[in-house]
Amino acid sequence: MKITINGKETALAENPARTVESLLDELDVAQRQYISVELNGEILERDAFGNTPVQSGDILEFLYFMGGGR
Amino acid sequence: MQTTLRFDSLLVHGGLEPGPAGATSVPIVQSSSFAYETAEALEDVFRGRAVGQVYTRLGNPTTEALERRLALLEGGGAAIATASGMAAITTTVMTIIRAGDEILASSSLFGGTFSLFRDTLSNFGVTVRFIDPLDLEGFRSAINEQTRLLFVETVGNPKLDVPDIPLLAEIAHQAGLPLIVDATVTTPCLATGASLGADIVVHSTSKYINGAGTSIGGVIIDRGVFDWNSQKFPHFEQFYKKYRAFAFTARARKLVHKDVGACAAPFNSFLLTEGIQTLALRMERHCSNALALARILKRHPKVAWVNYPGLEDSPQHTIAGKLYGGRYGGLLTFGTGEKASAFKVINGLRLAKNLANIGDAKTLVIHPASTICADYNAEEKALMGVTEDLIRVSLGIEDCRDIIEDFEKALDSV
Repeated sequence: MKITINGKETALAENPARTVESLLDELDVAQRQYISVELNGEILERDAFGNTPVQSGDILEFLYFMGGGR
Repeated sequence: MQTTLRFDSLLVHGGLEPGPAGATSVPIVQSSSFAYETAEALEDVFRGRAVGQVYTRLGNPTTEALERRLALLEGGGAAIATASGMAAITTTVMTIIRAGDEILASSSLFGGTFSLFRDTLSNFGVTVRFIDPLDLEGFRSAINEQTRLLFVETVGNPKLDVPDIPLLAEIAHQAGLPLIVDATVTTPCLATGASLGADIVVHSTSKYINGAGTSIGGVIIDRGVFDWNSQKFPHFEQFYKKYRAFAFTARARKLVHKDVGACAAPFNSFLLTEGIQTLALRMERHCSNALALARILKRHPKVAWVNYPGLEDSPQHTIAGKLYGGRYGGLLTFGTGEKASAFKVINGLRLAKNLANIGDAKTLVIHPASTICADYNAEEKALMGVTEDLIRVSLGIEDCRDIIEDFEKALDSV
């Protein structure tokens, strides 16, 4: 399936169990505690990372604090 | 790997990343701004899509190395290095409070912080109530609907009173408020923010962390444990939603720290990463020298009184011993009965330097009533524990025998 992460189209293996949390693991995203996630233009609550499924066509933004990355 | 190292090893290796050409000290990146090959790459960094440097006011690789180490030393969290200790306190407080809010603060604060709270913040509609930090019930009963934070020092300077920080943390948390602790005097060596239960720790890094009196700096460490999801903090809502535990650091970085601009200079951050490596060794000596001098002064015929939490008869001895692992810090105060004789002692010292600082490798003295506390009235001085005969001593790491001889000779002149 294909999703868009930070403006880049990304192909991922099909995995119906994939959540935002597991995707962060899968992509080995650094400095996880300082990242916010937007899913299809909406800010995703941090508590929802683990139970929000990632579906084909989703547009995700992983955003660090501006400047210096923190 | 780094987080599993023990404290003294973290002082040396914490947050260190491989440097260019195998360099083992933190490189000084003396650059105001950082170039990107493409407009898209810089846009990504600005938007937060990619980690990167933009401008040294917002972040700098040398300063980030220092921030990583200091956060690890406090038991985890996120750190922001600032231009000075006062900048750290100002940025912290301005991130949390708004006009109409109240702060509960220790009445024995360092003079600079007292001035910020009493004079500067009052111009912005903020009320600060000063309470004896040993009066836990006083703190509890002063909390009202407008209170937004509690602020105390681990050891009052120069009063050397030692509040029970874990109990103050409990009082703050029961009311849904964060406890901000200035731990400059104790450093993470004597107690970490985690062990004290502080939510946010600030330090003037100019002091023991630097260790040689070579630069001014400060740091804010957000332990990422306070729950900002509260009606008391509606201005944290967006930050809480996005960053949860690190809502404070996100708000500070994205607004107050960025806008105030009191950033650390890269060269100063380098000096701090060098200096901090020997902090544990120095603190041991600062503490043992202070205890040795306190004992000598205590039985000296020309000394009227000595205040050092390490003395067994100090009212602070038990709590200080419990919170700081049987180590009592490098500061002591003593009096000779009057201002004139205090001046004679200071003028008679040869090794100890008469200046406005603490935490240097060199032994330092000052007469607070005529210098750092000169702007305060008699009542305020009394709250700060500043008497006309008080001499503050910041013990250095010299051979204790030389320090003692210096003070004995100076006292002979009285």
